[in-house]
Amino acid sequence: MTTDEPPHPALLPAGLFDLLPPEAEREAALVEAMMGVFALHGYERVRPPLLEFEDSLLAGSGAAVAEQTFRLMDPVSQRMMGLRADTTPQVARIAATRLARVPRPLRLSYAGQVLRVRGTQLAPERQLPQAGVELIGAASAEADAEVAVVAVEALAAAGVTGVSLDITLPRMAPALLDAAGVEGALRGRLARALDRKDAARVAALAAEAGPAAAPLTALLAAAGPADGALAALAAAALPPAARAIADNAAAVVEAIRTRAPGLRITLDPVEFRGFRYHTGVAFTIYGAGRVGELARGGRYVALGEEPATGMTLYPDAVLRAAPEAAPRPRVFLPPGTAPEVGRRLRAQGFATVAALSAADSPQALRCTHVARDGEPVPLGKD
Amino acid sequence: MDTSLSTPLDPATPADSGTLVLAVPKGRILSELAPLLARAGIRPAPDYADENSRRLRFPTDDPALDVVRVRSFDVATFVAHGAAQIGVCGADVLMEFDYDQIYAPLDLGIGRCRVSVAEPAELAGRDDPSRWSRVTVATKYPNIAQRHFAARGVQAEVVELNGAMELAPSLGLARLIVDLVQTGATLKANGLMETEVIAHVTSRLIVNRTALKTRPEVIGGWIARFRAALASASAR
Repeated sequence: MTTDEPPHPALLPAGLFDLLPPEAEREAALVEAMMGVFALHGYERVRPPLLEFEDSLLAGSGAAVAEQTFRLMDPVSQRMMGLRADTTPQVARIAATRLARVPRPLRLSYAGQVLRVRGTQLAPERQLPQAGVELIGAASAEADAEVAVVAVEALAAAGVTGVSLDITLPRMAPALLDAAGVEGALRGRLARALDRKDAARVAALAAEAGPAAAPLTALLAAAGPADGALAALAAAALPPAARAIADNAAAVVEAIRTRAPGLRITLDPVEFRGFRYHTGVAFTIYGAGRVGELARGGRYVALGEEPATGMTLYPDAVLRAAPEAAPRPRVFLPPGTAPEVGRRLRAQGFATVAALSAADSPQALRCTHVARDGEPVPLGKD
Repeated sequence: MDTSLSTPLDPATPADSGTLVLAVPKGRILSELAPLLARAGIRPAPDYADENSRRLRFPTDDPALDVVRVRSFDVATFVAHGAAQIGVCGADVLMEFDYDQIYAPLDLGIGRCRVSVAEPAELAGRDDPSRWSRVTVATKYPNIAQRHFAARGVQAEVVELNGAMELAPSLGLARLIVDLVQTGATLKANGLMETEVIAHVTSRLIVNRTALKTRPEVIGGWIARFRAALASASAR
């Protein structure tokens, strides 16, 4: 299709958008509020670059986002570079290289934008903000609990409460399938049925796979509030590898409960969807109502085979979930207002908007107040 | 068979969780679905079954459940986006859009048909498909068609149509069609022959992932009701 009309100057590439006032300021404030919580829990901030060589960016856990990574050729080194599609692999790289000699456990935090090649129909954005924590060099359930609870606390600092934490065990289903010796096409069909939560089909296929796969059916039905799911795990006849995963899940839940007794926790023992590099527990934090996912994370193996766990919060989702803050009052400084008046009003929390010419009016500049005799007077009341 | 018929709202669920929406497909499936809904204890407003009714959203006798009637492809979209929390749609739709936000926990066993490849009867068997490097296909399932032919090393050039696929080969629009086939009568009437079945299809109960995660008791209760309804149907 050809057209003589030039493209509209406002049109952006698919999945990219401008954040305008006041949302841009709100998002930045939410990110800083969350980063403040991370800092108070001893997480030190790092700022990896947007671009790095693809072989380091996509090594280890980065391989999971390889197909979502924009690449470009570095004209200087003649090597291929990748634009990060996820920050976690970069933080893992920093921990394994530049901070390799810092004693463990190492607590790092980050905030920044990521780009991905393709959005989805549900989440069309191709540029996304991320803010998160990584806890590297600790293998305990305590470490998993810490990152989960710090993330929930960060959301609370951003004004988002009433969240629920969903825990999945991405290695549980593979462990049961391994123990049952399920291979090939049957394994594929069982994985697919588990993924869809098709209980009848899982039962039929598990029967075909043999007694060691039998717990799959019970565990599929156990998904739900953590207590019920843990009870089902405790009651199931699990092979040793799966039992270790279940015991670890119970320890993580208990450690979270100790830290955040009021938090709603659900547990889905056999789900593995969407957690491609996670090795132990995986977390998703859901907001109330239709907000959807606010954060994701969990345990993985960092570069150099170090145990690591972390959480990534999605500030764009947090922005949708957070209560709208009262807009900052804007006070108009008429021509000739003394500089110290402005200084004092700013200290009181006003945004001051100075007139630059006699033509400027408080209404046109969307002010709520006007400075008269050094005092803020609400507009329309004088 | 009314296990868990009175699933209590989970006290920890936020107050705004409100009414659940069940999305069902218009047309053929709607009548097949009616007895199942009745056995599951869902009684929508009387004009629900009336295809001429202009209303799209119907209350049921359960104040916590509404039913919406949309196109089959749109059921998956509504549920994937969480606009509806549960739905009924064909496995063909799930194959076409591989939404990661949808679980399909139950095979309802209704709406039986198949997604098939068909070609003009006079061409069938005349050439060797293993020599093809590309083929033109008219379909409303571009992803299924592309995947199917890609798996055998053939690039499918898709002409996307929303209906009357059977016309495409005779009018020179495409060499083959990939379409939903129930009896094959329409194919035959248009001089086409079903040459390959890509998948057998039935309708599934689908649920939104976030809804199941955040309201496991309520959504789980509905899945159990449908499962019980299926069991009581097959027991008869």
